Amino acid sequence: MSQLADKAKGDKLVGEVLAGSIRTASRLISRAEACDSSITPILKQLFCKAGDPVLLGITGPPGAGKSTLVNQLIQHYRKHDKCVAVLAVDPSSPFSGGAILGDRVRMNQHAADPGVFIRSMASRGQLGGLAKATGDALSILQAMNFDVIILETVGVGQSEVEIVRHASSVLVLQMPGAGDGVQSVKAGILEIGDIYAVNKSDLPGADKLVTSLREMLQLSSKMHPWLPPVVAIQANTGAGIDRLVQHIGEHRDSIRSGGEVHASRARERVRYRVVEICRQLLNESVFSGAGVTDTQLSAIANHQQDPYTLAEKLVGVL
Amino acid sequence: MSDLSSPADRASPTIRCLLGMLGTDVHNKGIRTLAQMLRDHGIEIIYLGEHNTCEGMTQAIIAEDADLVGLSYSSSNYLDYTRQLIDTMREQGVGDVPVMLGGLIHPEDSDALRQMGVSGIFGPGSKIEDILDFIHRAVGRADEPAR
Amino acid sequence: MTKPKGNKDCEAPSEQVRKDSIEGVKVALSRTKTWGGMETREFYSSPHIDSDPYHAKNGEPGQYPYTRGIRPSLYRKRMWTLRNIVGYGSPEDTCEGIREALRAGTAGINVVIDALSQQSIDPDHPAFGVEVGAEGCSLPSARDMQRLLGDIDITRSGVAFHSTMMTYPLVAAAAIRQGKALDRIMGSHMPDHLQLNLSGWGNELVPADLCHKTSVDCIEYCIRNSPKWALGFPQGYDLRERGLPPHGEIAVGMAIVNKTLEDLLERGLSIDEVAPNLAWVSSADIDFFEEVAKFRALRRLWARTMKERFGARNERSMALRIACHTAGNSLVYQQPLNNLARAAIESLAALCGGVQSLETCTYDEPVCIPTAEARELATRTQQILANEVGAARTADPLGGSYYVEALTDRIEEEARATLSKLEEIGLLEAISNGTIEQICDQYNMDVERELQQHERVIVGVNAHQPEQVEQPERFTFDRSHTEAHIRRFIQMKRERNQEALHDRIITLYQVAKQGGNFHQAMIDALLSDGSIGEVWGTVRVAHGYSYDPFNVIQTPFVYGA
Repeated sequence: MSQLADKAKGDKLVGEVLAGSIRTASRLISRAEACDSSITPILKQLFCKAGDPVLLGITGPPGAGKSTLVNQLIQHYRKHDKCVAVLAVDPSSPFSGGAILGDRVRMNQHAADPGVFIRSMASRGQLGGLAKATGDALSILQAMNFDVIILETVGVGQSEVEIVRHASSVLVLQMPGAGDGVQSVKAGILEIGDIYAVNKSDLPGADKLVTSLREMLQLSSKMHPWLPPVVAIQANTGAGIDRLVQHIGEHRDSIRSGGEVHASRARERVRYRVVEICRQLLNESVFSGAGVTDTQLSAIANHQQDPYTLAEKLVGVL
Repeated sequence: MSDLSSPADRASPTIRCLLGMLGTDVHNKGIRTLAQMLRDHGIEIIYLGEHNTCEGMTQAIIAEDADLVGLSYSSSNYLDYTRQLIDTMREQGVGDVPVMLGGLIHPEDSDALRQMGVSGIFGPGSKIEDILDFIHRAVGRADEPAR
Repeated sequence: MTKPKGNKDCEAPSEQVRKDSIEGVKVALSRTKTWGGMETREFYSSPHIDSDPYHAKNGEPGQYPYTRGIRPSLYRKRMWTLRNIVGYGSPEDTCEGIREALRAGTAGINVVIDALSQQSIDPDHPAFGVEVGAEGCSLPSARDMQRLLGDIDITRSGVAFHSTMMTYPLVAAAAIRQGKALDRIMGSHMPDHLQLNLSGWGNELVPADLCHKTSVDCIEYCIRNSPKWALGFPQGYDLRERGLPPHGEIAVGMAIVNKTLEDLLERGLSIDEVAPNLAWVSSADIDFFEEVAKFRALRRLWARTMKERFGARNERSMALRIACHTAGNSLVYQQPLNNLARAAIESLAALCGGVQSLETCTYDEPVCIPTAEARELATRTQQILANEVGAARTADPLGGSYYVEALTDRIEEEARATLSKLEEIGLLEAISNGTIEQICDQYNMDVERELQQHERVIVGVNAHQPEQVEQPERFTFDRSHTEAHIRRFIQMKRERNQEALHDRIITLYQVAKQGGNFHQAMIDALLSDGSIGEVWGTVRVAHGYSYDPFNVIQTPFVYGA
């Protein structure tokens, strides 16, 4: 196909996404997942058309009830006529590359609602709790007039810090576990959240967990203008969701009112995004384009040559 | 790991297969086992579970950009439900997505099912190799004209 | 042969042709001699009972901990109840089916209800029209329950319902309409809602906390108001079908029993009021010896739990009655006539295991809804076992077998281990966080892998496949009654006293919302011609869930703030 025809086709797709076509958006996300670089011109256009949705990341350990909470949030926002998009990430099998993406089951009730777009993604080897194409998918969704975009992490209990690099508000979901409330709070969790929710608040230990989270957050966030709130909820019945949504709104107001902390975090997110795109470009040009011969790789494997020199040479080519 | 994926990986994009059940059928044993086996053969399963409506499942096919759809039945309503689903899929512009059926499907219903547009039928005793083989062929065929 | 202790020698054969007086069951004990002519005893045991640790662990038949059966003269005193499953189409169709089954020799009827009614979805729900009456009887209102019961007086003969949600409230409402006192109604149903959550219904349809609350409410209401009404609880059968080994059935079933009993006792009931009304709904799968051992291990663990954990004093609390159905998932589609052999052996396992009622699956179950012919063959199977095989003669015929005793011990041990794991997590948590589901999935995956690798062979499935086999006729029935039934249902909804119904729905909502036992309020709403979808939907809303679990329709009621 000629470049002109390509462009016309791309413009058409951009137009469709801007008009809210879920079909086109979902196909573009698939192409992004397949590392199809021919969609880059489309993503460039879409990025500049981004609206200003609530961009909420949700993370927490397995079994904490993330999908159930997302389901309640969708329900809540839909009651207020807000359109919601969800990216739900599940882990890929490290052995087969396959995956079972099961988050949708818990959000099934919204399946037929045209104001809701739920997309499941497999992590496809990406560490940090998100999928490789998360950034691209967000570029697409942000251009689509959604009022709220929710990003749900894998939730395998590892550190899922990558959520901070994509979401403007991060909600950390916890539940009372066995043992001491303080110890059940994983290291690293206190640094990433803007809002904390304790699910299954009817279980023993929930009150204690709420209290200890509040204390720890107070100690650790003196410098920050925003003190992360801690909300007790029951995701299965919806108890506490109203208050949670209120806090999400307040955090967004706080972002909008400006301030250096928020601005610097936004710049950090963009910086990370640029690095991520660089890495992808390098990956493509170095390994697909420039071509590394088996002879070269064997020489390195035998320690006759070193990988540093080859890498420098390849990047130099760029 | 992700950044070092070899070009060969990208030549065959991961298959996204949506699995689910329609109506009130609760016998989910077969479909859950199949989901795990397909996962272990490198396929991404979008698992919808039981209790879907035709409308809801069609929207999921669209939103998930599924490469194919697998339905499981252990109740006798599969002709009605499959027809309803395929009609809805066509109305919504995803009639080109291949549909396969598994479970208690009777051989004498095969012709009727194929006529309504079902491309894979896997009744009792079907082998995983045959299902995988079908999936790879069906997706290969469906891919070219559609994209 | 050894000398039985503590029992008279056998009664004369002429006295032994007994029929169950209540249900007039058509399986009878016609002979206590062997086929070759030797007289037999009620049961056999070790000659060294006093010094035998075996005896201390197992007792004799009829003795604590009832490993060997709940009565010394098990089937000689009271035969098992032969059950057949009936149910399709409209209530009138099923009523006719019951009459037909009675004519064919079945007296214990298990009524099955269609999937929609089981899930408390009305037949006029816009998404599921094709399913009404398809695999069971459509039973969406008290009026329909009245039609199903026809001229059966439920204070004289009981109907067993193979169903859970809304069943008792519907029966109670129909009884009240018949002018019968609730404390005199007979029959049974299976109020194990938690099991539904695990057997494919999921959290959307039956959230775990609501399931548990409903089971506790239902059992409490039945015990207090209808003490003759039997409760098939827990429903271990579906758990096995979903994918659990025999010890898993015991573990998950006991976890459900323990949690439910704890809550019932907290409400002021005593264990000896509740436990005697429970019967375990179980499965008999294809591994004959393992299944016999399971029933024995189950009775022993039950008896000890009731006595040691709950302080039961009444022997009827400790002696577990078991209602058994042969395993539907052991039957295969390939060469279906082989299923006759499977179901016969499973039935024999159940009888050697000492169950109190038995339903033998029809050979065509994997193919279609049972045809009349297949149903008749299932009845004949049990009659052959009773009369020719001698399955009814002697209690616990395999007791003392090294193999079966070792399996019994092993199954109890494994069950206890899994049970304590589940109770450590907490049953409701283990259900809602998927722990139990994972156990089932893993078991099913293991079975599948073994089939693929031929470590496990099922005839006709992964070996010895038939060349070409004629499939049996499929069951069909005239759907015109069903369609008329739906129209009649819609008309009832239109013509009832809407204000009276609305008041009762609001009362139901308030009772449920305040956490009270909502069963009386459900019965009252059904008596005002509320439908099962409306009544259960209201209970769902009161607990914070959507009215329609499928989210297609909205509640027609205004519940207020």
